[in-house]
Amino acid sequence: MNDRYSMRALALVTATAALVGCGKSDPPPFRLNMTNVVAKQIAPEHQQAIANILGAMFGTPDEPIALKETGLDQKKLDMAAGPVWSDKVGAKHGLYRRHCVHCHGISGDGRGPTAAVLNPYPRDYRMGVFKFKSTYTAAEPTNLDLTKTLHEGIPGTAMPSFALLPPDEVAALVEYVKYLSIRGQMERLLEDHASVELNAGDKFDPANDPAVQKLVMQDMLGPIMESWNGAKEQVINPEDASIPPDNRPAKELEASVKAGRELFYGTRANCVKCHGPTALGDGQQDDYDVWNKAINDFFKATDDKIGQIASLKTDLAKAQGDDATQIRQQIVDAQKEFNERHALLSSLLLPRNAIPRNLREGVFRGGRRPIDVFWRISSGIPGTPMPASGPAGEGAQGTLTQKEIWQIVDYVHSLPFEPASLPQKRPINASEVSTGE
Amino acid sequence: MKHFWALLFLLVPIFGVLTFVLAPYYNHSFPRDISENGRVIDQLFYFILYLTGVLFVATEGALFYFMWKYNGRTNREPVKYSHGSHTLEVVWTILPAVTLLFIAIYQMNAWADAKMRKPDIPVTAEITGRQFNWDVRYPGPDGILHTPDDIILVDGEIHFPAGEEILLSIKAADVLHSFFLPNIRMKQDVVPGMQQYMWFKCRESKAEVDIVCAELCGWGHYKMSGRATFEPRSEFNAWLAKKSAEQQAHRITQATP
Amino acid sequence: MSTITADSHAHAHGEHAHVGSFLSTYVFSRDHKVIGIQFLFSTLVWFFIGGLLALGVRWQLAYPWSDMPILGKLLFSAQGGQIAPETYTMLFTMHASVMIFLVIIPILAGAFGNFLIPLMIGADDMAFPTLNMLSYWFMWPAFAAFGASFFIGTGPMSGWTSYPPLSLTIEAQKFWLVGLTCVGVSSMMGSVNYLTTIIQMRAPGMTMFRLPMTIWAMFITAVLQAFALPVLTAAGFMQLADLTLGTGFFIPEGWSANNTLHAAGGGQPLLWQHLFWFYSHPAVYIMILPAMGMVSDIIACFARKPLFGYKPMVYSIAGIAGLGFIVWGHHMFVSGMSPVLGMTFMVATMFIALPSAIKVFNWLGTIWGAKIQFTTPMLFALSFVAMFIIGGLSGIFMAATPVDIFIHDTYFIVAHFHYVLFAGTAMGVFGAIYFWFPKMFGRMMNEEWGKVHFFLTFVFLNCVFYPMHILGWVGFPRRLADPYHYETFRHLLALNQFITWCAILMVASQIIFAINFFYSIFFGPVAGRNPWHSNTLEWQAPSPPGHGNFDFQPVIYRGPYEYGSPEVDIDYYPQTMPPPQNRPAAVPAH
Repeated sequence: MNDRYSMRALALVTATAALVGCGKSDPPPFRLNMTNVVAKQIAPEHQQAIANILGAMFGTPDEPIALKETGLDQKKLDMAAGPVWSDKVGAKHGLYRRHCVHCHGISGDGRGPTAAVLNPYPRDYRMGVFKFKSTYTAAEPTNLDLTKTLHEGIPGTAMPSFALLPPDEVAALVEYVKYLSIRGQMERLLEDHASVELNAGDKFDPANDPAVQKLVMQDMLGPIMESWNGAKEQVINPEDASIPPDNRPAKELEASVKAGRELFYGTRANCVKCHGPTALGDGQQDDYDVWNKAINDFFKATDDKIGQIASLKTDLAKAQGDDATQIRQQIVDAQKEFNERHALLSSLLLPRNAIPRNLREGVFRGGRRPIDVFWRISSGIPGTPMPASGPAGEGAQGTLTQKEIWQIVDYVHSLPFEPASLPQKRPINASEVSTGE
Repeated sequence: MKHFWALLFLLVPIFGVLTFVLAPYYNHSFPRDISENGRVIDQLFYFILYLTGVLFVATEGALFYFMWKYNGRTNREPVKYSHGSHTLEVVWTILPAVTLLFIAIYQMNAWADAKMRKPDIPVTAEITGRQFNWDVRYPGPDGILHTPDDIILVDGEIHFPAGEEILLSIKAADVLHSFFLPNIRMKQDVVPGMQQYMWFKCRESKAEVDIVCAELCGWGHYKMSGRATFEPRSEFNAWLAKKSAEQQAHRITQATP
Repeated sequence: MSTITADSHAHAHGEHAHVGSFLSTYVFSRDHKVIGIQFLFSTLVWFFIGGLLALGVRWQLAYPWSDMPILGKLLFSAQGGQIAPETYTMLFTMHASVMIFLVIIPILAGAFGNFLIPLMIGADDMAFPTLNMLSYWFMWPAFAAFGASFFIGTGPMSGWTSYPPLSLTIEAQKFWLVGLTCVGVSSMMGSVNYLTTIIQMRAPGMTMFRLPMTIWAMFITAVLQAFALPVLTAAGFMQLADLTLGTGFFIPEGWSANNTLHAAGGGQPLLWQHLFWFYSHPAVYIMILPAMGMVSDIIACFARKPLFGYKPMVYSIAGIAGLGFIVWGHHMFVSGMSPVLGMTFMVATMFIALPSAIKVFNWLGTIWGAKIQFTTPMLFALSFVAMFIIGGLSGIFMAATPVDIFIHDTYFIVAHFHYVLFAGTAMGVFGAIYFWFPKMFGRMMNEEWGKVHFFLTFVFLNCVFYPMHILGWVGFPRRLADPYHYETFRHLLALNQFITWCAILMVASQIIFAINFFYSIFFGPVAGRNPWHSNTLEWQAPSPPGHGNFDFQPVIYRGPYEYGSPEVDIDYYPQTMPPPQNRPAAVPAH
């Protein structure tokens, strides 16, 4: 074999391999909430303006900004943000991408690559709605609530426990989740504003317009931060008088369970409507939680567009002159919107119904302590069809009293141990058990 | 160089042995053994290591030697025109067979102890592997599993009493998992629908070691880390009492989230 | 005894005299040589793909969650190039699946078995040429199914072992199982062909004990294929039924995963493991015995002396195959299978080391007293012996059940099987390619670049796979996308990075082989019939052989390993050469 030829061939192949292999990925950007953007038909220049505002306020996934007004901790954000394999010697970096991004997505939209195979889907933080917290329904979770979710995970879902991470890493991740949530909420307000208030050609630039600056920082960010910062005050602390004593005698517990059962089947609490008379969660199963509802609405509206375009075309056939021109423009707009919606559909996760919990399994997603179950009943599970049976705020009146809620808590805790809930021994499976207990 | 290839092959036994000899000095060998009976496994491993090490050096050495001595470019002798040796065949059949039979019998007791001789003691805890977490259920004050006072923990931190024999009941909730404690030298796959047991004793009074999932269970197989904490029985009981109280929490204090 | 007479042979010759179209000559050919080369090219392409998949695995282990080359930019730019954990799971699943089912099994039986069997026994083609063609073309649905499975959801991600219930939660497994079935059908067709051909179509004088070791190995491998594959095929259909028809062969009562409750139940996940390993353990012998046979031929040829212990070598192959059917449970020691049963499998597994050891001793005996020619094929064949010693000895650790409790599902196992499969079989395959290339293509591969390829591959593979024993010693588990989550394994990152870089260099070194291979097909120096001065029958045919293989009727006078015989003055003594008139045969043919 001709050595020169072979050397040249070798060099060519190696060079190609190096070129192909060494293409580094660009730093990932945050993505706008495209379902919202397309649904609200926000103009491209406004989309860019919104992206710029968010970029200036919050930075990028690699370099986050802890805006003074948010009170977020820059050091913690730096620990959580950025690529995992970085050359920041000695410093922790990239925690979010190491532990969270493949499910929760780079923008916290719950659409990481793994999300498609999960049931339930990972949380989309951008609505600022969190299911399992200690505060009143409309309030944000406290730091302790978010820390607990990371510590214990969410049993019954793919969210694992991160208790084995050092506390500083957990704190950094909690901070980053808040950051993504605040950013998402901010984005939503900006998009609402753009869709409702702005017309084509309007400028939307807080850097150069003090009025817009005030709008963004005080009227939009202000309430968001008030809600987050005020969460601590919104914690539901049950009255001592209502709390059952520790180590109750069995008779008292039985009575409480019985009372709880009556409330469960009663009309005021109406638990059986969703959880079913069997408590297996086979009641109403066709409702949606807010995250899936948004996707479902998007799908439905996209389908409706087809009908809308068809009916416009029928109108066009009958219309004349200026009316016709107007209708033609409407058809063009509708078609454009439909195309944008259709292009987005394949990237969405299919909407799923909110299935009420099977209470006989003994799996408590938000925690199994009595206080956890109390919070679920009292303030409901925000974002889901599980309603609040307690008061909506401090001093308000709820459907049930605290004592009644504790009784339902006792009943719910007893459900997994009812004979009907225990594993049934059938003759055919008796030999399945390898070494008997 | 005429003997280049023979020398290249000589590097195999040299580096092969060196790697195993030097690895422990760089903390690249067995993880710390905190169990009572784990050393049986370690000793068996080392026995096999030395035995195979000798065989390795002998056979690779022979290979090197023959490659050197019978190199066609240096060997002037005619080839030894032989079709084999019946005696040698018998010898190198019988000797390895006896050795292998010996190893087979030698280890049976250790296997029986680890997997067949379940101790007749109450179950300390029931551990369930699920996608992707280790959950533990302690019997609670009444000492019976699957009653309302069970202590159920889902954060992967599992405590055990040290210095006493422990019996674990282990199961899988959804797909195959495997409960692996490297520092106890114990591993058992858990199969949905099957009840498995694992028993061991920690001989140190305080230790914190990893729990590893050792059977592919999905995308989150690597995330199923747990930590086993061994502590004296009194501390363990105190911890259980604390967890039991937390589980009964009707109110929050500053400490509990 | 052969049943082909000279008459029927000439008649068969006449049939081959026609000239076909391009399609029937090179694409849908029924000529075993063309089919063998088709298998060779297809498997070499998949070898490359399988190697790239492994590099993806290695990158993640060296730089977890970093920007992965090629794949990161292609699929994960939204996350900055870091792969998702299910992608990692898919990578190692498909690396193993591709290497086992689309590379090693087809290259040994399909490429070399096909090409060599008729030539080495003196037949003009296989017993069933059309069936032979079908066995190649059944690989294409397998290629398509495996290829398609990459794009279904996350791709197959339950390991190449596809254990339920996990595998029942993955969409892509359906395609994977279809691919597996097609490979199985292809192999079964091949094994029927090989068995019939070897038994029925040997040339006059070619008794069973005058067959080269390659043929014995292919013969016994074909028996393994025929008896073990039906079990895998059945199991594959059962899992496919569970996935598509709602049956519950492997699903326990009341099973749910991912919050989805499955209707059927009453099955047993362990059943799959038993059925799967009943095939897959013999499969690992399917994946090494042909290489052992070919290595024996190559070593005897370049030692220029007879193979030491021909009959013990044959009996060892049969012993490995026979014992191979009763050891499958050693993959399941900690699976939940009864430990008593585990003990029985342990004893059988210990004993399977015995015939393997006998083979190693006999190879050493072959080069004792030899005049070794260090050609490229010989280097690869000797490295097979050296590396198989490591792979075989490491097997003893895992046969010891208490030790297996610790090393099961760790990198110790990964080290073991990569030593036998890559450092063993693949090196044997490379040697076989260099050795039989002149016969296949009529030209020689470049000897200098062959030695460079050997040197680099040998050094790098040991740098990649030997340290994995150490990783396993620490308990470093397999199949974890990020093992550094665990305190116990965090300090192993540096060693993993070393392994990864050596792996990248090892794969890169194969470029030399690829260039040598393709260049030499067209521009290599023309080879005569017998460039290596080898005894076996294929070297008496033209290079490459035409239709009908031999341009004379081969008659066999002796065994295949009469190198350095005192009967003749040259140092080799082809099987077809009649003994010289003035000297009677010195050694009875056996």
